[in-house]
Parts: sequence; structure tokens; C-alpha cells
Amino acid sequence: MPNNDSINGPRLLEREDGLPPASPGLRLIVQGGERIYSGPPDVRSLLEARGENPAYVNVRLNGEVLNRRDFEKITLREGDKVDFLYFMGGGVV
Amino acid sequence: MFNLSEEEIERYSRHIILPEVGGRGQQKLKESSVLVIGAGGLGSPALLYLTAAGIGRIGVIEDDVVDLTNLQRQVLHATPDIGKAKARSAGETLQQINPHVEIDIYQHRLTKENIFDIIAPYDVIVDGVDNFPTRYLLNDACVMKKKTLVEGGILRFMGLIMSIRGGESACYRCVFEEPPPPGTVPSCAEAGVLGAVAGVVGTLQATEVLKILAGIGKPLYNRLLQFDAEELRFHEVKAKRNPGCPVCGKKPTITELVEYDYACETQAPKT
Ligand SMILES: [Zn+2]
Repeated sequence: MPNNDSINGPRLLEREDGLPPASPGLRLIVQGGERIYSGPPDVRSLLEARGENPAYVNVRLNGEVLNRRDFEKITLREGDKVDFLYFMGGGVV
Repeated sequence: MFNLSEEEIERYSRHIILPEVGGRGQQKLKESSVLVIGAGGLGSPALLYLTAAGIGRIGVIEDDVVDLTNLQRQVLHATPDIGKAKARSAGETLQQINPHVEIDIYQHRLTKENIFDIIAPYDVIVDGVDNFPTRYLLNDACVMKKKTLVEGGILRFMGLIMSIRGGESACYRCVFEEPPPPGTVPSCAEAGVLGAVAGVVGTLQATEVLKILAGIGKPLYNRLLQFDAEELRFHEVKAKRNPGCPVCGKKPTITELVEYDYACETQAPKT
């Protein structure tokens, strides 16, 4: 569970490529913590921004578990509540 | 009619002194039966605490053999047990901890053919399995037979716990509808696991079982608790019955047990 909490504010606003964020920021409640993201438009981008492998997690958006095939199609909106549900304990080789 | 002997009253005195447990609660535990699937990473701590707590009858199902790589987390087994059937090793350890507990040993795999018969006599089932096919099989069987299941999973520094009242509260499939595609989620053998994380999750599973049996507090029904050891944080996610759930939803598509086929899964050591 990578964590992007920072007492100095939202770390995700700082893009790795050094470019300014595309939008002023999207306020999301991710894993119970409120954070501003530099507008990840869809669920898949949010997962990537958080360092989560989309294959390992299910996502619950405002109480509904999403279909894993829809990660790219679903656009996040201001104030959305997102929880990650991790697949665990499988002996898959 | 069960009665606690003087020796038992002394043995369980720290339970009995708790007003929420008392003599009646301890008596209930003695009258109860629990089945633990797997005597590995999660099964070890769960079995140790359930046995010490004085559950009347405990079933252990496990077909594996103790291996050196198990000992970092499977605290039910010791170095001299290497090469021994885990079910037997578990039975010996547990009987030493508490001779009052009746231990049933099943030294084989859980399959769709035998699962209903094996789970039938037990009040609560504890999931300590190491693979997705058995995890889904167990969930489906417990939903169909309206059994109470305490789910647990571990990977790396993470753990997950969820209690399920078959057919009443959200089931594993309400949250994780289908297993992940084979090869996408690594096993503990591939990705590793901090041994103590298994201890945390297995112990929480035992705590849930004891609460459920003695009627204490609020079980983790319709709640999924995720544990992150790196940050040392618990994150609770509310879960609810999914009307579209393939096994407990309004129009279930799974009405007979299915066993997913994961190539090579038997090669993965137990979590
Ligand atoms: Zn369900």
C-alpha cells in the first residue's frame, strides 16, 4: 500500500516531468485521506499515480465496487471517495 | 451437558473474569466447533489462540508437509517437524497446548466434492488458504450453506480480514467478484510476506471467531479491514451485499460449486 501522505501537502501535484499540473487539482478522498491530485482523469491514472498495480486491486468508488474493465472509462469528480481493495493470499505462480 | 472442571475454570480464569465472557461465554466456547482451512501462516496463529481459548472441537484441514521456508511465519511448526505432515504436526502442538480440545485432522485438499461434508459440522470456518481457487470455493460453499466464514489474506506487508455470515452479510465475491487473472497477483512465495503480518491477521481472525461464538461486540460483517504494516495503519472499507453478486446476489449465476484452475498453483508454498 504505497502512501502519498505528506504533511507539506499533496506530493502528487509535483509531476515527475517537472511540468505544472494540468488542472488546479482534484480533491479526492482516497483510502480515507483527503488529498489533491493533479487531475488524474480516470481511475486507472489514479492507480498509477498512487503506485498501485491495477491488476492487484479492486476499486470502490463512492461505495460501489467498480468493474475492473472500467478503470480507464470512469472519470473521477471532485470529492469522490475512492478505496482500494487488495487481492491477497493467492498462491498464483 | 458440558461442564467446566475446576482445572478448566482455572485455565480459563482470565477469560471468565471478563464480564463479557464469564462462565457462560467460556461454556459457549466449549460447546462450539471451528474449522480452520490451512495450518500455515494464518492458520498457525489462529489455531494456537483458538485452542488455547478452549473451543470444544477444532478441525484442521491441510495436505502439505512442513518445509524449512514455512518456519519464518508458520509458528505452529518447529524445526524438528520439517518433513512431517503439517496436519499431524499441528495436531501434536495443539494437543499439548490444550488437551481439553478435541482436534479433528483432515489430511487432504478441500475440493468441490468434499467441501460441503467437511464444513457441515462446524459453527465457524476460518480461511487460511494460500490460493485463489480454494478461497472462492470456500466462500461459495459458505454462502450456499449459510455458514459463518472469517476471511483472511496476507501479502508482503499487507493483510485483509472480513467476516461473512453466509447469505446474510456481504460475501467475498460481493467485493472481489472473480479471481484475478492467473499470474497477475503474486503469491507469497514470489512476493514475500513479513512473517509477523501473518501473526496479526491470523490473530485477528481468532479474535473474530471468539467474539462471534461468545456473542461479544460487533463482528466484521459488511466491513473489510485492510492492514498496512509499513505505515502501521488499519483501513476499514464498508462492504455491502452486491445485488449483482454471482453467488449471493438477486440472480446468482453460481448455483453449483466451481473450482478455478490455476496452472502451477500447487507449486506455491502455503502462505
Ligand atoms: Zn456475495
